[in-house]
Amino acid sequence: MHLILHDLPVLHWAWAGAAIAAVTLVLLFVANRRLGVSTGFEEICSYVLHQPYFRRDIVRTGREWRLPFLAGLALGGFVSAIAGGGWAATWDLGMLDKALGLAPIGKIAWMFGAGLFIGFGTRLAGGCTSGHGIFGLSNLEWPSLVSTIAFMGGGILTTQLLYRVVFHLGTAP
Amino acid sequence: MTIFYLLLGTFFGFVLSRSGAADYDFIQGMFLFQRFQLYGIIGTAVALTAPGLWLLKRYGQTLGGKPLDVAPKPRHRGNLLGGVLFGIGWSLAGMCPGPILVNIGEGKLYAFAALAGALTGAGVFGAIYPRLQRPFKLPAIAIGTGQG
Repeated sequence: MHLILHDLPVLHWAWAGAAIAAVTLVLLFVANRRLGVSTGFEEICSYVLHQPYFRRDIVRTGREWRLPFLAGLALGGFVSAIAGGGWAATWDLGMLDKALGLAPIGKIAWMFGAGLFIGFGTRLAGGCTSGHGIFGLSNLEWPSLVSTIAFMGGGILTTQLLYRVVFHLGTAP
Repeated sequence: MTIFYLLLGTFFGFVLSRSGAADYDFIQGMFLFQRFQLYGIIGTAVALTAPGLWLLKRYGQTLGGKPLDVAPKPRHRGNLLGGVLFGIGWSLAGMCPGPILVNIGEGKLYAFAALAGALTGAGVFGAIYPRLQRPFKLPAIAIGTGQG
């Protein structure tokens, strides 16, 4: 199976996992920072929202390093596209296109709704796949185990329900 | 240091882009138990980060000689419910937070809508934090739910 991006073959999972471990450890050893992406959402919000939650000291100190790191993530995707055959804007959504065939406006609504769950959920949980799933689990932290089981469970249930039940409602005998 | 964070993020983003972690179909394949790829990636990352962290904590300091700061995150009821909500969002979007940014870089236009939703969700969360504190037993506002 290949990527949606230029139908490229994927890196072997062992190399990808090792690279992510290296990023996590280098970030801690060099800069004394815990890997974590989702806190960046509230740090971006802190530039325009002024409730007490967004004026906390950890928001001000966190955004100084995390926002360049997040900009790097986007740049990494850009470099990957360029190196893999050229950058091009696309609406390609793989399996969801085959199942639903949403128009761009439908995809915007679908993704905005999904984003609400991601933004609210990760901040309520206190972390996402990187902060809980990689760093927290590796640091043997109980809340991270609880959250990781919860988001894997939530994801498995939702995808199973969508692709094994909902998308077949119209075609089932 | 800004350049260091930017470059490390770029490397991380490239790996996420090429590994399937920022690919809608690979995420669904993971949740459908049809693709091992993402389980292999997360499992390998944890299996290698855990002993690395243990060694770094034994060494006890950063490259610059500062005491290592690995304070654990607070435990609260949000860990469970927030996790479930995030899992639903991860499944629907086929992206977790890092890959939202990676997909924007790749040129997948719908990822901008996911980012807009995530910022709105995080903004609402922060705005109503005082009202969520009691039902979810969340820590004091200065601490928050956990950085990550």
